[in-house]
Amino acid sequence: MGLGLLTSRTLKSSRILHSQYSRFRPIVTKPKLQSPDASSAAAAAPQPETTPSPPKKPVGGARIHFTNPDDVIEVFVDGFPVKIPKGMTVLQACEIAGVDIPRFCYHSRLSIAGNCRMCLVEVEKSPKPVASCAMPALPGMKIKTDTPLAKKAREGVMEFLLMNHPLDCPICDQGGECDLQDQSMAFGSDRGRFTEMKRSVVDKNLGPLVKTVMTRCIQCTRCVRFATEVAGVQDLGMLGRGSGEEIGTYVEKLMTSELSGNVIDICPVGALTSKPFAFKARNWELKGTETIDVTDAVGSNIRIDSRGPEVMRILPRLNEDINEEWISDKTRFCYDGLKRQRLNDPMIRGADGRFKAVSWRDALAVVAEVALHVKPEEIVGIAGQLSDAESMMALKDLLNRMGSNNVWCEGTGTNPSADLRYRYLMNSSIAGLEKADVFLLVGTQPRYEAAMINARIRKTVRASNAKVGYIGPPADFNYDYQHLGVGPKTLLEIAEGRHSFCSAILNAKNPAIIVGSGLFEREDKDAIFYAAETIAKNGNVIRPDWNGFNVLLLSAAQAAALDLGLVPESSSSIESAKFLYIMGADDVNLDKVPADAFVVYQGHHGDRSVYRANVILPSAAYSEKEGTYENTEGRTQQTLPAVPTVGDARDDWKIIRALSEVSRICLPYDTLLSLRSRMRTVAPNLLHVDEIEPATFGPSLSIDCTQEINLTPFKAAVENFYMTNSVTRASKIMAQCSAMLLKE
Amino acid sequence: MAFTLRSVKVPPNSASLEEAKSRVFDFFRQACRSIPTIMDIYNLDDVVTKSELRSSISSQIRKNSHVTNPKVIDLLLFKGMEELNNIVEHAKQRHHIIGQYVLGRQGLAQDLDTKDEGTSDFLKNFYKSNYF
Amino acid sequence: MATTVVKSALQAIRERGLRTFLRELKDDGFTFVVPLSSFLLKCFFDGNLLFPVSALEPSSEIILGILSSLLFISSFDGNLIGWSRQTKIHNIGATVVGVDKFGNKYYEKLGDTQAGRHRWVEYAKKDRYDASQVPPEWHGWLHFITDHTGDEASLALTKFALQNLRLSTCLKDLHILVLQLLMLKPKRYGVEHKENLSGKGNEFIYHSKGHALNPGQRDWTRYQSWQPTKAE
Repeated sequence: MGLGLLTSRTLKSSRILHSQYSRFRPIVTKPKLQSPDASSAAAAAPQPETTPSPPKKPVGGARIHFTNPDDVIEVFVDGFPVKIPKGMTVLQACEIAGVDIPRFCYHSRLSIAGNCRMCLVEVEKSPKPVASCAMPALPGMKIKTDTPLAKKAREGVMEFLLMNHPLDCPICDQGGECDLQDQSMAFGSDRGRFTEMKRSVVDKNLGPLVKTVMTRCIQCTRCVRFATEVAGVQDLGMLGRGSGEEIGTYVEKLMTSELSGNVIDICPVGALTSKPFAFKARNWELKGTETIDVTDAVGSNIRIDSRGPEVMRILPRLNEDINEEWISDKTRFCYDGLKRQRLNDPMIRGADGRFKAVSWRDALAVVAEVALHVKPEEIVGIAGQLSDAESMMALKDLLNRMGSNNVWCEGTGTNPSADLRYRYLMNSSIAGLEKADVFLLVGTQPRYEAAMINARIRKTVRASNAKVGYIGPPADFNYDYQHLGVGPKTLLEIAEGRHSFCSAILNAKNPAIIVGSGLFEREDKDAIFYAAETIAKNGNVIRPDWNGFNVLLLSAAQAAALDLGLVPESSSSIESAKFLYIMGADDVNLDKVPADAFVVYQGHHGDRSVYRANVILPSAAYSEKEGTYENTEGRTQQTLPAVPTVGDARDDWKIIRALSEVSRICLPYDTLLSLRSRMRTVAPNLLHVDEIEPATFGPSLSIDCTQEINLTPFKAAVENFYMTNSVTRASKIMAQCSAMLLKE
Repeated sequence: MAFTLRSVKVPPNSASLEEAKSRVFDFFRQACRSIPTIMDIYNLDDVVTKSELRSSISSQIRKNSHVTNPKVIDLLLFKGMEELNNIVEHAKQRHHIIGQYVLGRQGLAQDLDTKDEGTSDFLKNFYKSNYF
Repeated sequence: MATTVVKSALQAIRERGLRTFLRELKDDGFTFVVPLSSFLLKCFFDGNLLFPVSALEPSSEIILGILSSLLFISSFDGNLIGWSRQTKIHNIGATVVGVDKFGNKYYEKLGDTQAGRHRWVEYAKKDRYDASQVPPEWHGWLHFITDHTGDEASLALTKFALQNLRLSTCLKDLHILVLQLLMLKPKRYGVEHKENLSGKGNEFIYHSKGHALNPGQRDWTRYQSWQPTKAE
């Protein structure tokens, strides 16, 4: 006799027994939970001896790292012994045992709140089910995760949560990726007993990025904890008590963090959703492409969700070494810029000054014709801040074969030097910043230049009370810092040991100096770097086990450009240029370009430089091409095409390769692979994807600088966090953000 | 379906190359006669002219001009008949016609551009599309 | 049937005189009540008038043709051949049950009329009329689905509500209020009745947004391109 048959039989008899006082239908789905007789009968039924299934693998492939072998304790999860380090919670122990506990309020990167009660498990000898996320695991603890008690507890919690949660999944943007939806399917009941009115909560205005539907909120307080702990803004909080409890800004206020978009990801329900994405698509319609971000030099790992030819949204991807699981708002919401102001046809400026769309054949013929009649030293090439390494390699090769060596990447300064790699890389690596205990920020505002690195610094400051000293114009950081001064004067004082901050550097175990790459634009940058290196030498910042001398770059192309040697022969070549090839450089000052110069603009957006161009060659944006980028710490990463190119645009390197053939100096690579093997001969590290190539030599090789330091104060490198490149400047959302958030 | 089967008959094999040739001409005439109908049912007046469609048909036929085996010609002819019937019976949609016979013609013309002679495959592909 | 129509027409002329009869016809929209009899006679003798067969009663149509030519009147609507013509002569002795918002007149004639032919509509547009011009509230009455006329149908709910109210309360203001509220009720599906324009030309027909004949809806690009005209 089957188990089910037996259960149903016993159930029949028990139903007769209980019928007089079971007027209310119990809220359980499993019949054996409903009646103790049935469950005992089922348990007593003769069943084959089941061998326990082998232990599962940890959830998400998590690995545990035992720092101290003495601190290992053993607990039992569903009967299987698991070894975990001391101090872990019951929930973490279950995860290592391969059991996924349902949870809403618990988040591994935030503090523990323990208020959703969804993670209840049964622990032997404990009278009640315990909230596993808040209970530390003790040696020999016997945890049971799928007993009737635990299941009933979850079902009960679920019913309470759904009591005041609107049943509007069909019109909710979280639908399909909602924790509450998934877990109510897995652990909830199939019916509810709630018949009264549901509560409703007034929606809050959190700005142009985050849409709120506060009635859907289940008060898990993840967003509050994220805002205070990671983003470092005290805007969100919990108001009221009991059923009147709600999340809100205490006063009517917008969320001014540059990480605010992450609350959309951590919200387990549809209370906080993306405003630009609202009602645009369903998540199951989207195709995810795992790629990287190029709006700043961090190289955050992202997933571009696209539908057909359209980028619908951008989400972060977990990478512990770079962005953990957050991304900045610029990364997340710049995608509408990819659909506006796009260059889609090759164009030639006619005699009347108007652009006319032409075919690729004609456009390339015109460019090649001009290029062949210009003296080699009058040819100049500028790569933009979004250029990938392949196209910069091709551009350099093309110009070199034409006889010119005046090619550089914008933002690397008037007279860049690529000889010493440590001078333009973040040598301690982004994750390595967590080990630092003193930070000296020289002319850099990481909050606006690289929001994810700022989040790292803030994490370190919060975790270990690291000291932060800052030299530069007055700024608002979201952690405590000491404003040491505004310019090179203070830097010299520290270098010469006359400043009070020197003792902090000397006493620190792992001091870190971060120099902003905005200083590259200064004439006296060599002297400033020399001063910073003096501080590093005096403070013992560069040691075999710790290299705390860091340069924070501003754009995604810079590191690769310097690695590939995109260094101009003469710093004033632009003033005598007759043939200027701009590859997406929009922040370069073109006022000095002679009026009779022939300007070719190759890029994907009609931004600033396009108005000076004579020929426009449309190329692919970062969401549309496969390209190599090196981030500020020297880590090579590759983008993947998520959507097709728009109009008649082509990949950057293909345009240069085609142009080289039309101008009869054929570059010897036809495929991306052969181009990369050419790149290997110049910078082999650009082929080692996802690896950091540390700088080989330290300051020991640098020569003494005789340059006089200029005492003018440092300037802010980034004026407007939301609009730093052609994509973000084309974006409407970014324009809204800068209008609404920056004025406060 | 029945209509298709009725109209696309499998004729007996051509005995000689001459017979096959004359069948091809018959087919071409038949196709040209149905052009006005095609223009009408697919609303092609604003995208293509009758003569362009005619030359499109002839270029499709000329593409196989090297074939001399009457059996192969018969086979190609049958495929052409089938295609023509599908088109005339409105079994296709407008974009099929535009893609295959209106834009497809330009693609053929581009291939034959004399300016590209001597250029590499890369450049030829580059002019066509970004994806190769 | 045909004889009764002729009879009633002659009776009406006898009662009210020919002039009144003609004026009535003119008032009802038969603008071409001019002596086109020569043309009509020609048609008649050519046998062309035998074509209008889509009318309800071909026999009476022919007789009407004779009659109208005899009386030097005609309802010439420009579509003489192959189209049914409407003639005032039916309406003699019938009662006008109502007029809908488009101006279509609804007639009923009980008594000696054949069952199933005792309700009819006289379209407001005399030249281009179509059965789909009848709005839904009158459709039921016209097709013998219900005995409530279109006016009643739209007022039925109001009346029902008012009756119930009258039983319970005597507040007159409230009646008016309720009436006003019910009049404010949105039309069913929120759109006005429209006649079916199939076969009237491509510009009248709905085309879905990707259709080749839908003007202005052919742009499927998902991005906005940079406009070079902005260049200085």
